[in-house]
Amino acid sequence: MSEHILKTPLVLKPFDFLGKNILAVSRALKSFGEYILDVVHALLTPPFRFKETVLQLNLIGVNSAPIILFSVSFAAAVTILEYAYHMKLVIQTTALVPGFAALLVLRELGAVITALLLTSRVGAGITAEVGTMQITEQIEALKLLSVEPVRYLVIPRFVATILSSMALVVFANAMCLLFSMLVSISYLGYSAESFISAMNHFASFKDFLLSIVKAAVFGGVIPLTSCFYGFNCKPGAEGVGTATTQSVVTNAVSIIILDFILTYLFSYLY
Amino acid sequence: MSLEIKNLKKKFGERTVLDGISFIIPPGDILFILGTSGTGKSVLLKNIVGLLKPDGGEIWLDGEEISRLSEEDYFLIRKKCGMVFQHPALFDSLTILENVAFGLRRHYPNLTEEEIRTRVKKFLSLVNISDVEEKLPQQISYGMQKRVSLARTVAIEPKVLLFDEPTTGLDPVTTNAINQLIKNLSRTLKTTSIVVSHDMHCALDIADKIVVLDKGKVVEFGTPAELKKSKVKLVQDFLAEVH
Repeated sequence: MSEHILKTPLVLKPFDFLGKNILAVSRALKSFGEYILDVVHALLTPPFRFKETVLQLNLIGVNSAPIILFSVSFAAAVTILEYAYHMKLVIQTTALVPGFAALLVLRELGAVITALLLTSRVGAGITAEVGTMQITEQIEALKLLSVEPVRYLVIPRFVATILSSMALVVFANAMCLLFSMLVSISYLGYSAESFISAMNHFASFKDFLLSIVKAAVFGGVIPLTSCFYGFNCKPGAEGVGTATTQSVVTNAVSIIILDFILTYLFSYLY
Repeated sequence: MSLEIKNLKKKFGERTVLDGISFIIPPGDILFILGTSGTGKSVLLKNIVGLLKPDGGEIWLDGEEISRLSEEDYFLIRKKCGMVFQHPALFDSLTILENVAFGLRRHYPNLTEEEIRTRVKKFLSLVNISDVEEKLPQQISYGMQKRVSLARTVAIEPKVLLFDEPTTGLDPVTTNAINQLIKNLSRTLKTTSIVVSHDMHCALDIADKIVVLDKGKVVEFGTPAELKKSKVKLVQDFLAEVH
């Protein structure tokens, strides 16, 4: 069988490169769209895996809590120290520190840092697990036993990560505010009452509620992206490594972009 | 249950993997598919069970054309048509018992836990395995994992069994044991079996019919006796390894 290999003329190479990439991106988007439709279908129709969802809640939520609460506490302490230093320098007072710190914690820090930590701890794990199942034919074995992989693997992780993320953000916000208050008391000379009073001038319960909405959105994105990369994992250890890296990067970038979009939309509600 | 493949075609990008494959397997027969690596043997099996969709041609299972079915409709086909993968593909977070019980729970929801346990033990003993029910797949040998995988597939009692290189990576003793197991299972359960293999010796020993593929096409099809008289170079190369 003879093969005719058509060589692209040099002048057309940029178009060839562009065309191939557009095709690759459109194929990936189509595949992701079909995957999302499968997720929606599985989410709205029984059977549901309650036991597995509870198990995932423990793995994702409970097991992530210590590292997330530990990290956000220090992030909050650093933030308030920075605020205090620059406010003293520029406007010669630290009176606005508690309010600004509370706003930053509730509107950004709590939800975003929690999501980024969940991405690295949970998202990477999900991609590696699903990716390994993919390359060892376990996903195909599921299909052959008449089990939908999306229903079996994605839905419990999707629901568990959303609920975990929402709960973790509540605790993360509390820890951030607590650490902010402790730093204010020990470093800026505030009392607990004066810190809370100063904070209440700026932050409201609406800020707290909207941070939970952000947490729910970020919590939904992480398992969806992570499982998608797992399902499309290439063979071998390198394939799993690449899929995991791509999944973490995509999740982190998505969270930052979504944070911008949500902050913009919420600005109409504040 | 009979299986007929008519002019089956499959391409990946510009590469043609299956180029008009056709053959028929009568109910209860064992068919071996031989061919060098990359000739589309595994792709053919995956098309039969709907893990891949053909670009052309038809697949008839027991008088029903199945190649255009939706994913949901394929779930019913997969109860009739089980496949054992090249790798054991056992679920590594589940015990051996749970692995074999997995399909039973799905296809026979009315079975009690006791009945499931009894069935699991029955099918494990059919593949000569016992006392490993509570172990995880990684705690048993590769050969045992392959046999557990076989037990998991036959436990749902499919009418057609597909084997994708069931003896690859196994020592000669276990290879022989698996081959005899395929023969015994097919005869005991009266299933129609398709075995993808490189092992001409085994094919001549247990196959009712043999298909030889080369570059996505059928280059020879017949009984072991007919194949021994083949003038096709690839078939002669395979036969040379036996002698």
